[in-house]
Amino acid sequence: MKQLSLAIDLSRCIGCKTCVVACRNAHGLIDHAAAVSGDLPYYLRVESERKGVYPNLSVRTWVVPCQHCKNAACVKACKAGAIVKDEQTGIVRILAEKCVGKGDCLKACPYGVIQFDAARRKAHKCDLCWDRVHVGEKPVCAEVCLTGAIRFGEKEVLKMRLEAEGKEILKKMSAQSVFYFRNPD
Amino acid sequence: MVAATQEPREDNAPRKEAAMRENGWIPTMCYQCKAECAILVRVQDGVIKEIRGNPRAGGKACVKGMSGVSLQYHPERLSRPLKRVGKRGEGRFAPCPWDEALDAIAGKLAELRDRGEAHTLTASFFPHSITDPKWRFLNAYGGFINTALPHCDSAKIVAFIKAMGGVPNHHIPPNFATTPKGGVIILAGRHAMGCLDDATVPKDILDARERGAMLVVIDPIFTADAAKADWWIPIRPSGDTALFTGMTHHIVLNDLYDKKFVENWVREGDFDKLKDYLADKTPEAMSAICDVPARDIVKLAELCAAAPSVGVDSFKGIMLGQALDFGHAWTNFLAVTGNIDNPGGQPLPDLTPLSPVAPVPSGPALAEKGWHVTGPDKGKFHKYSFIMEPTWYQAQAIKNGGLKMLITAECNPAITEMGQEEWRKAVTMTDAKGDYLLEMLVSYEIMPSETSKYADYVLPDKTYFERWELLYMPWWYNFGHGVALRRPVVEPLGECRHSNEVFIELGKRLCPEYFGFRDDLEYYDIQLAGLGLSVEKLKEMGGLWSPGTMGFRKYERGGFGTPSTKVHLYWEDLEEVDQALPRVGLAPEYAEDTGTFPFILISYRTTFHQGSGQWTHNNPQLRDPKSGLRENPVLINTATARKLGVKDGDIVTLRSRTGSLKVRAKCTERIRPDCLGLHHGFGSSVGGVASRGEGVSDNILIPDSGMTLDWQDVVGGESHVSTRVAVEV
Repeated sequence: MKQLSLAIDLSRCIGCKTCVVACRNAHGLIDHAAAVSGDLPYYLRVESERKGVYPNLSVRTWVVPCQHCKNAACVKACKAGAIVKDEQTGIVRILAEKCVGKGDCLKACPYGVIQFDAARRKAHKCDLCWDRVHVGEKPVCAEVCLTGAIRFGEKEVLKMRLEAEGKEILKKMSAQSVFYFRNPD
Repeated sequence: MVAATQEPREDNAPRKEAAMRENGWIPTMCYQCKAECAILVRVQDGVIKEIRGNPRAGGKACVKGMSGVSLQYHPERLSRPLKRVGKRGEGRFAPCPWDEALDAIAGKLAELRDRGEAHTLTASFFPHSITDPKWRFLNAYGGFINTALPHCDSAKIVAFIKAMGGVPNHHIPPNFATTPKGGVIILAGRHAMGCLDDATVPKDILDARERGAMLVVIDPIFTADAAKADWWIPIRPSGDTALFTGMTHHIVLNDLYDKKFVENWVREGDFDKLKDYLADKTPEAMSAICDVPARDIVKLAELCAAAPSVGVDSFKGIMLGQALDFGHAWTNFLAVTGNIDNPGGQPLPDLTPLSPVAPVPSGPALAEKGWHVTGPDKGKFHKYSFIMEPTWYQAQAIKNGGLKMLITAECNPAITEMGQEEWRKAVTMTDAKGDYLLEMLVSYEIMPSETSKYADYVLPDKTYFERWELLYMPWWYNFGHGVALRRPVVEPLGECRHSNEVFIELGKRLCPEYFGFRDDLEYYDIQLAGLGLSVEKLKEMGGLWSPGTMGFRKYERGGFGTPSTKVHLYWEDLEEVDQALPRVGLAPEYAEDTGTFPFILISYRTTFHQGSGQWTHNNPQLRDPKSGLRENPVLINTATARKLGVKDGDIVTLRSRTGSLKVRAKCTERIRPDCLGLHHGFGSSVGGVASRGEGVSDNILIPDSGMTLDWQDVVGGESHVSTRVAVEV
């Protein structure tokens, strides 16, 4: 198996959204002079879950990028063949030149991470910073994460390290290409 | 600015930073908030594309910092001076040449000085560096400074001066990178994950936890910090003094205190006075005030007494009407546990030997001519001991005739002021002839703000990407050792001029004997000579200089800066106002009107916004729901909402003694049932982004502007920033 991956630490993510903005800037997803809040594309989003009631509470926060699924629904949904799972990296990519803008991938994606550029009639999404990872750099989200909650690497290696550190991998939260973990209780 | 003095967190950080510079990243300093973190900016074809934390300085920039690009290219940026053509508050302006604006401003300044009223000038700005030429101008001319925001931590500063003789790191937490295994981190009403200190702080705290430190969050709201805490204590608002005093009681009376520190470093006699005072401050008695169970007060006290270090940081606790009492309880707690200037404890500042710029102006006589001591309330301020004018008294000062010219920069008092309506009323008040009591209001702005609506002249400021600035603040987050250079990375927009450049020009016109240097760069060069540096050399070095040490237990070199050279637990100069030792009661603003206004309003913060500044509130990325915070609903405990018949999303009316507003309710488990929460700083009617959505200003509800002086801490210089409110469905 070849899979580049992100491992997201729920014990560290504070939901600060630094990664969302840094990613948006890096990928040129925003025209700063014309930007309208509420209508800005994003490749990651923050989610959270509360358990308990006052005063016995716990709140967990995490980010949701493209999961680069092993059997990606978006790949199957795209009849134009514009979405591919790269064999060398496991990255699921949308090939803009082939995208015909039907939007089937947006409906198929179970994680709701695909964006649609209405002006260009193109779907687009996180490509795990394709250009960066091929020259040995981390994806932007992993580089800028305020608390070091996003790790990057080859999936098997990341998992091995997390297991060695005694971390708890939260299997139900993802499709297992990108994965989530936390410190055990 | 922590980063300027701390060791890089990664071994290869200097090489990484050098490689980034080779690839076109330019080192400078962020100014999306007062933390001023070291950043790198990627500029391509003269346009800013991306921002990163500087690896040499911890390598972190927060969401506000990242969103600085949207500030730079905001379509509403001002590019030339404006002159008011309507009435103040109408927001009607016409373009005005710089010369005309500066002639008018310099003319008014000359007129005031000729009238013997130079002291009736106040400039309100954030004093983020003692090298700031604005400060020099005020000292040379004879005017005063108040900060661009209420003195949110003046009580901490005053308390630490009184207790230890030195100014603590202003906004500043302990250096969590130094917290040892087993150390305790206490955040008491402090949102450290909100990145208003330094962007490295959240990681430092979580790293400390991973090596075995304990995080305790004391807050009526379950914050992002509480979500990461080992222990959340939902204290009654302003109960911090009682909680810390209850802990100190348990530690001292059970012989758990740091005997070596107390014996060697507490002033003789003070510890006995403290013991006498503590006798009836039992955990049970303090529990009744702060609503923390006595067993929890004991448990936390014993944890702290046994820990290798305890670092305490607070913000809201030192922003209330009995703020200095909490500052005092805090310093007493640190002293008896020996957590002063030790790894993981409260750092003390140190000085960097910058050269003075001769001749050094002496500064105005605040205690004699300050507007807080020249009006009808002067008798109440006789123990006032902060170094700046109390911002919240501005409106009263205008009414009293003590404040006749106000220049604002990097601030937004029309929203920031508690009792904001009173401020707005004051700046529009006229005399019998129809002339404004505040004779001139000048506002430096990057883009129009609520405050600029009231200004006579609105001057277009350079952003922090367009200007030079030498940053050095001995009591700032840099632990007193480092200097940092902010430098232009892109060309300024239009006719924008930085406020520092303009103040230097005003200085050359009005007090040339103090402004003999050529410009801001030469002014900084003179100061840097003390370190064997110049602006150019510092720039070549990457803009950061530091000896690389923080230093611990620096008091061992000659004691503390107090008259006795020891820590003072007992403040005899405050005997007559009954504050020689901390008053443990709740903040006075919470003791009044309990029947009419049953809920306590909490003005909370998040990482997405800095105060009320347009640079975050009018920033599209920071008001976008996916990358920032768009709305400002009132947080209401779910059980409370049920009792009141309020459903999630209902529009409710909040009413206080001085105002009311309608706001959407957000039912949540994350707040005490007797509290309501509003995010501070929303509510602008100016700005295409800021005025969209549901944004209400907490300061409509908070009565102050000197109207409720009996509720104020008029010693520590602090203001109360919350109030009691009622909910009407």
